[in-house]
Amino acid sequence: MARPVLEVHDLHVTFRTDGGLVPAVDGIDFAVAAGETLAIVGESGSGKSVSSAAVMGLLPGNADVTGEVLLDGRDLVGLPSDELRKVRGNDIALVFQDALSALNPYYSVGWQVAEAYRLHHGKSRDASKKEAQRQAVRMLDLVGIPDAARRANSYPHEFSGGMRQRVVIAMALVNNPKVLIADEPTTALDVTVQAQIMRLLEDVQEEFGTALVLISHDLGVVAEVADDVLVMYAGRAAERGTVRDLFHRAAHPYSLGLLGAMPRVDVPPKPRLTTIPGSPPSPGSISTGCPFQPRCAYTERVGERCITERPELTPRPGEGDHEAACHLGRRPSDA
Amino acid sequence: MPDELLHLENIKKYFGLRGGVPWRQAQAVKAVDDVSFVVRKGETVGLVGESGSGKSTLARVATRLLDPTAGRVEIGGVDVTKVSGRKLRPVRRKVQMVFQDPQASLNPRQSVGTILTTPFRAQGIRPTKIQLVELLEQVGLSAEHLDRYPHEFSGGQRQRIGIARALSVQPELLVCDEPVSALDVSIQAQVLNLLADLRDELGLSYVLVAHDLAVVRQVASRIAVMYLGTIVEEGPAAEVYDHPAHPYTRALLSAVPVPEPGAVRDRIVLTGDVPTPISPPSGCPFRTRCYKAEDICSTKRLVLEAVAGSNEHKAACYLPEI
Repeated sequence: MARPVLEVHDLHVTFRTDGGLVPAVDGIDFAVAAGETLAIVGESGSGKSVSSAAVMGLLPGNADVTGEVLLDGRDLVGLPSDELRKVRGNDIALVFQDALSALNPYYSVGWQVAEAYRLHHGKSRDASKKEAQRQAVRMLDLVGIPDAARRANSYPHEFSGGMRQRVVIAMALVNNPKVLIADEPTTALDVTVQAQIMRLLEDVQEEFGTALVLISHDLGVVAEVADDVLVMYAGRAAERGTVRDLFHRAAHPYSLGLLGAMPRVDVPPKPRLTTIPGSPPSPGSISTGCPFQPRCAYTERVGERCITERPELTPRPGEGDHEAACHLGRRPSDA
Repeated sequence: MPDELLHLENIKKYFGLRGGVPWRQAQAVKAVDDVSFVVRKGETVGLVGESGSGKSTLARVATRLLDPTAGRVEIGGVDVTKVSGRKLRPVRRKVQMVFQDPQASLNPRQSVGTILTTPFRAQGIRPTKIQLVELLEQVGLSAEHLDRYPHEFSGGQRQRIGIARALSVQPELLVCDEPVSALDVSIQAQVLNLLADLRDELGLSYVLVAHDLAVVRQVASRIAVMYLGTIVEEGPAAEVYDHPAHPYTRALLSAVPVPEPGAVRDRIVLTGDVPTPISPPSGCPFRTRCYKAEDICSTKRLVLEAVAGSNEHKAACYLPEI
C-alpha cells in the first residue's frame, strides 16, 4: 500500500451518560492511502458511524476520544476547534446518509457549495464571491447536475433525493479534500440512483486521487468499490483485510455470518438463509471475552477462552495483511 | 377462479392535490394507474419498484386500508370494493398486513398481550392465554414476552410481534410492506426465514412489497415490477430475474450490487429521475429514461402482453428484450 493519508491508531470513543460510561468504539486501527477505498462494515451499534464522526472531530461534548487520527502525519485528536475547522471541509470531508438534513433549506444549493469554498479561501485574493460562485457551478456540473449554472439557484426542496446527494458530494469536494468519508451515502436512495452515486464517487476519486472511507452495511456495495475492508462488531474490529480476503477467505465467524445472511439477486435463492442467532449487544454490556461469543456457532470448539479472553486482531498465516480477531485459529469453514 | 385469494382489477388510486387557489385546476397524483393483479393460494408474490412506484399504495388498496378511485377488489372470490366499516371485519380475517416499521405500528403503551388480543376482539373472540402463547411461539418468541412492552424488544423481535398480530386471526394472505427493510442484515435473514417457515407450516400466501430485489428473490415465487403507478413486467420469479424482458426491469436488476469482488457486470445506469406521477409521460411511462426508447413508445400506453415462449411471463413494452 502506498503511504496512507489517513491513519487511525487505537481509537477509543466513550460517551459519558447519566447511565455511566458507554464505550462505543473500543480500540480500532485503520489506514487509507490516496486513491484507495477503505470500507468499514458493520450493523447498527457497531461503532462505524461514531468512528467516522470521531475522525472528523464531530462528536458531542460528552464523548471522550483517545488515540491518534493522523492526517498526513498530523494528529487531529485534541486539536483546538479553530484549527480543526480549517482541516474539516478542506483536507477531509464527510458525506452523510441523509442529504436533506445536511443541506440548509433556506439557501440555494449554489450558495451552499460556494460557502464551503469561501470558508476555506477566505483570506486569499481569488476568493471573491464571484469566484466562489464559479467554483460552485463547476462542482455542481462535475457531480452531474444538469444545467448547473441555472440549477445552482434552486433550493434543496426542488431537488430529488439523488440530486441532493450530488449537491452534498459537490459541497464535500469543492476544496479537493485528501480524504472523503462517506457514511452510508446511498442507503436512503433507490438502487438505480445508488448506482449513479457510486459511479460518481468512483469517478471523482479517480480524477482527484481522493482517499475514500466508505461506511456501509451493504456488502454488495462494498464488494464493488472497496480495496480494503474493516469489519466492526460491538465497537471493535472483527476482521480486516483486502476485499478479496473478506469475500473469499472470511476468517471471522461474524463476517461469515453476514455473508451467509445476505440474499443475492444474481443467483437462484438458497432454500434458507444462514442466520446469526440473537442480536448485537448493546454498548456497555460487553463482558471480558469476545463480544461475538454469545452469538457464535464456533465458541464450543474453542471453549472457555472465548468467554475469558478478548481476542485481538492477529494476522492470518500466509495471507498478507489479512487479520481476524478470533480465538479459532483455523478458518471457520475448515474447523 | 376458485384458488384466487386476491383479485385486483383495473385499480386506480389517485390522490387529490388541492389547487391552493380557486382558479388553478385541481391536480391528482396518479399513485396507481390501472393495475390488475392476482394472488393465488400458496403463492408469494413480490411487488417491487422504487420509491414512488405505487407499490405500497397498491398493497393498501389490496387490504382495503385505502379505497380505490376506480377498479374492483375481490378477496376470496367476493367483491369487497364497496364494503366499508364493520362489514370489512370478515374481510380482515382473510387478509392481514405487516408493516415496515414495527416501532410505529405497535402501540408503545400496550403490552404484547394486549396488542395480540386486539385483533381477536375485533372479531368478537376472547382469546385464551394459551392461544396467545402459541402465537408468540409461532414467531420464535415465548410466554415470558407476553407482559412486556414494545420498547423492551429489539427491532427484529418487534417485527416478530407485528407478524404474530397479523397471524392472530388466521388469515390466508399476509400483505407485508417492506417487512425487513428497517432491520440489520443478520436480523433480516431471521425474519425472512420465519416468513418461509410460516408459509410451509400454515399454508400462507404472501404479497411482499419491497424495494430490495435480493430480498424478494429469496422468498417470492412470482414477481411484479412497478414503475410510476403501473406494472411493467410480471411473471415467475426465476424467469423475470434470469430473463428480464422490460428494459426497466433489466436496468433495475443490473443496478443491484453483488457481493462478489471483481464481478464483471454490464450495468445499465439510468439517467435522470422518475417523472412526476402528476403528469406521467404519454405512452410508456418509462420511455423518458429508457435506453431503447423510439418514437413509437410515446404513442400509446401498452398493456401487459405475454413474452415470447411463455404465457405466465408478461411485459408492457414495445421493444422487449426477449
